[in-house]
Amino acid sequence: MSYREKRAWIALLSYCAVFGGYFFFLWQAWSLDEAFGRELVIPLLAGAVVALVIAAVVLNVALALFSPKEATAPTDERETMIDLKAERIASYTLSTGVVCLVGALLMGVNGMAVAVFLLAGLVISELVKSAAQIAYFRRGA
Amino acid sequence: MAIENEIRRLRFENGEMTQQALAESVGVTRQTIIAIEQNKYAPSLEAAFKIANAFGVPLESVFRWRNG
Repeated sequence: MSYREKRAWIALLSYCAVFGGYFFFLWQAWSLDEAFGRELVIPLLAGAVVALVIAAVVLNVALALFSPKEATAPTDERETMIDLKAERIASYTLSTGVVCLVGALLMGVNGMAVAVFLLAGLVISELVKSAAQIAYFRRGA
Repeated sequence: MAIENEIRRLRFENGEMTQQALAESVGVTRQTIIAIEQNKYAPSLEAAFKIANAFGVPLESVFRWRNG
């Protein structure tokens, strides 16, 4: 497994763990009491972002320590192409999410729920990007 | 993929050159050399010339177009 593929796995698993927990707790709180759920959106998000940054830094530093040569090597043409292909798929995903969000707005979804849906769209597009990178790395290109 | 290559044979003929050695000579990762060798990835013209140069042979001795 290449260094870049390992990095894609780190991103995928970090996003799954952190935002999986975020949306789970938010959904639980929202189910109990909608007002309580709304109050938790921002503090939970702040915690999730801090956790994501810490996880990304710790895991990437550990990976770089185990493979120092690959960590300092520049990205080659195939890796760049894989990044671009994955970015394109992620942008389609995000665009689809935005269109769905516009539909939700037209159907009367309120402000904080829109913010949560938008965040979910961003997270899903990041997950799709990492998953696409891994798939391309596995396939060869 | 329509582009085939003779990299495996050329590595053998060049003292069983390792994929890592070829990768370092071309300036790509070993995984990229593996993908090219297995016809899973078509390299850029620049990388193709560098690969041919690493073996000291013309480009057409390394890569060929497969019709059909």
